[in-house]
Amino acid sequence: MKNKKIVFVMVTLVLMLALAPALTACGTGSTEGKTLKVGMTTPSSGPAAEKGAPMGHANLDAFEYINNELGGVKGYQVEVIWLDNAYDASKVATNVKRFMDEGAILFGTASSAMMSASMEIANRAEFPGIASFNAPILHRPPEHIYGQMPDYGDDWAAFARYYMDNIWEGTGKPRMALHLLNNSTGYGARDAAKAAADELGIEIISIDEHKADTQSEMDSLTRIKASNPDVLYISSTPAPTALILKNAYELGMYPGVTIGLGHAGITKALVDIAGADITEGVYGVFPTVNWGDNVSGMAKMTEYVRKLHPKDEGNMDYITSWAQSLIFAEVLRVAVENAGYDALVKGNVDSWRAVETQGIQKLKDYDVGGLHGPVSYTAGDNRLSKSVRIFQIKGGAITPITDWIEAPLVKYEQFDWFAK
Amino acid sequence: MSLPCGTRNYSYAEDMAILRTKTHWVFFIGFLALLYASPLYLGNYWLGVVNLIGITLVAATGLNILVGYCGQLSIGHAGFIALGAYTSAIVTNRMELPFLVGLIAAGLVAGVVGLIFGLPSIRVKGFYLAITTIAAQFIILWVINHWDSVTGGFVGIRAPYPSIAGFEFRTETSQFFLITTVAVITVFFAKNLARTRVGRAFIAVRDNDLAAEVMGINLLFYKLLAFFIGCFMAGIAGSLLAHWIGFINAEHFSLKESILYIGMIIIGGLGTTVGPIFGVVLIRLLQQTLTVQVVPFLEGTFDMMPSGFATGITPMLFGLVIILFLILEPRGLAHRWALFKAAYRLWPFSY
Repeated sequence: MKNKKIVFVMVTLVLMLALAPALTACGTGSTEGKTLKVGMTTPSSGPAAEKGAPMGHANLDAFEYINNELGGVKGYQVEVIWLDNAYDASKVATNVKRFMDEGAILFGTASSAMMSASMEIANRAEFPGIASFNAPILHRPPEHIYGQMPDYGDDWAAFARYYMDNIWEGTGKPRMALHLLNNSTGYGARDAAKAAADELGIEIISIDEHKADTQSEMDSLTRIKASNPDVLYISSTPAPTALILKNAYELGMYPGVTIGLGHAGITKALVDIAGADITEGVYGVFPTVNWGDNVSGMAKMTEYVRKLHPKDEGNMDYITSWAQSLIFAEVLRVAVENAGYDALVKGNVDSWRAVETQGIQKLKDYDVGGLHGPVSYTAGDNRLSKSVRIFQIKGGAITPITDWIEAPLVKYEQFDWFAK
Repeated sequence: MSLPCGTRNYSYAEDMAILRTKTHWVFFIGFLALLYASPLYLGNYWLGVVNLIGITLVAATGLNILVGYCGQLSIGHAGFIALGAYTSAIVTNRMELPFLVGLIAAGLVAGVVGLIFGLPSIRVKGFYLAITTIAAQFIILWVINHWDSVTGGFVGIRAPYPSIAGFEFRTETSQFFLITTVAVITVFFAKNLARTRVGRAFIAVRDNDLAAEVMGINLLFYKLLAFFIGCFMAGIAGSLLAHWIGFINAEHFSLKESILYIGMIIIGGLGTTVGPIFGVVLIRLLQQTLTVQVVPFLEGTFDMMPSGFATGITPMLFGLVIILFLILEPRGLAHRWALFKAAYRLWPFSY
């Protein structure tokens, strides 16, 4: 009898929880006051949470700063619809549809993999989106998805140029091995290597891939070590990058082989996971400044991170997403100036077109408080910022060793092998 | 109007009918009318959720035939869905053939590959068969990721809008009608399959395969048929998913998805037709509730907690729901539904 009651209560509670959204299914929620809605989705849980969580915090913290201290955008508060996607493609697909339904006029994602899962939905609906972390497949050919920063292929090209100009002292072509995350993060670098390695004078000796939850890469690194590489380039997120560095260290490959990382991997989380001793001397490419750099936007960002999310201080991804929110605000500001609030507030395809043509595509030399390169739209190139810097990890600190390097545009769609 | 009480059939047709009274017919037609009228009162987001439920239902129904009716445990269903998705995308994108060709090809390719990976079921069962199906998932995804020239490799491949006879399903509403119609046909097929000789053979194999073989049921044929049908439906679901999302890569079909499908049919009720419906609706709505309402509410309300604490609630709650159902209601929501119907038929009498 007691068991039946427990089962009845349990089933009832679960059904209530599951059917609760049906009560709000009819029509969209109403919002008091004049606001501009944007959607943000980050992988704050799941296999990419070590990047997604601080990025979600930064997005929301920046909008709190924009709304509370700057009075919003042209006097209109920015309402952020934030949803966790748990690095799950079906979730991000429904999240983007919710953004469209809720009247958002622009949306943003943290990871390139999640943007690739939603880009067709957004492109088909002409709903503009900005991806923090970019990949060639997102914006080639250019449609309605924009990259906040240079993509993973640009990282590889910038590092390869720096390596050839400043590190390589041998004769002939240096031998480079690629170790790539098995999604757009990794294959952005692969595509750039395929397109530009010959031109740069680099020989690609192997391309290995790994999963985000890999537990060991000793096998692949043993094979790579046997090929006698001069340089190993890793384009991945911090956790698998840390594992590869540890395995390379255990195999005696490193120190010895030069190691370069794409911007998805070279963050404070990498140093925390792998340790300062193992990451010592590793190079990386990152499109933003480092914490503590003397730029105009650093003070306010530091104030908010210490107030709201002190554990994220020092995390490079926080800078990226803080800057993303500032770009969103600038896009909205320019769009309101050019198209007017009434055109944007409808939250339909007309608003989306207005945001894109009168907002995003009117961006010109916007300074994101010096946090990364200037933001400009160039016709035919959906990368909003095109500059990166080379960093090196020294004593556990990620230290810049170059100034801003502009990454060239590669029209991947001209190559037969580029994803159709 | 008199209510049904007991068995009062006057012909074989009445006895075998799925809908046996006028009340049944009224409720059924009313439900279909309400379902197909959904675009009138649901926005794009909720139509998207309903579409996701419809696609998941097709796959879950196939898995239920394989696991629930035939007793062949498969934890690689997402791999077969991936096979269907990629087949359809390749046929429509690279070969530029019609969507219907892609849809059927998706089912056939997934079904044939399911036959191959179903062969171990002749020798192994239970946990050991589950391991082989997990291997199937990894093998399928490995081939997809490394066959760059055809599948686009790790980057993925685009799938165009589905179109039939020149009509392109561009909007969420039009895709809703397509997906819902396929889901209804699938459920209808599964319901009738269970009532045929094939369905009874599946049940016999599930309950005691040795006794079934002694009775003259060809185990090889029926086990492989179950794999073919289950994987065919997975392929169909994959095709619909690919054209609904528009861009797919192997990351969309992880082992976590396969386990989620098993959870759906367990919670819904194995070996029943309504079980997958209940399980899929519950799990997908639970996902949406947690993502869209519970997590943002908790994050916003409990400022004193570490940031991001609420995002861990989703996987915890899923695990808890599956465990609670396995312990307290192993026969799933379908069993509760059956008890409710039985009680309703006898109401106000308790016996």
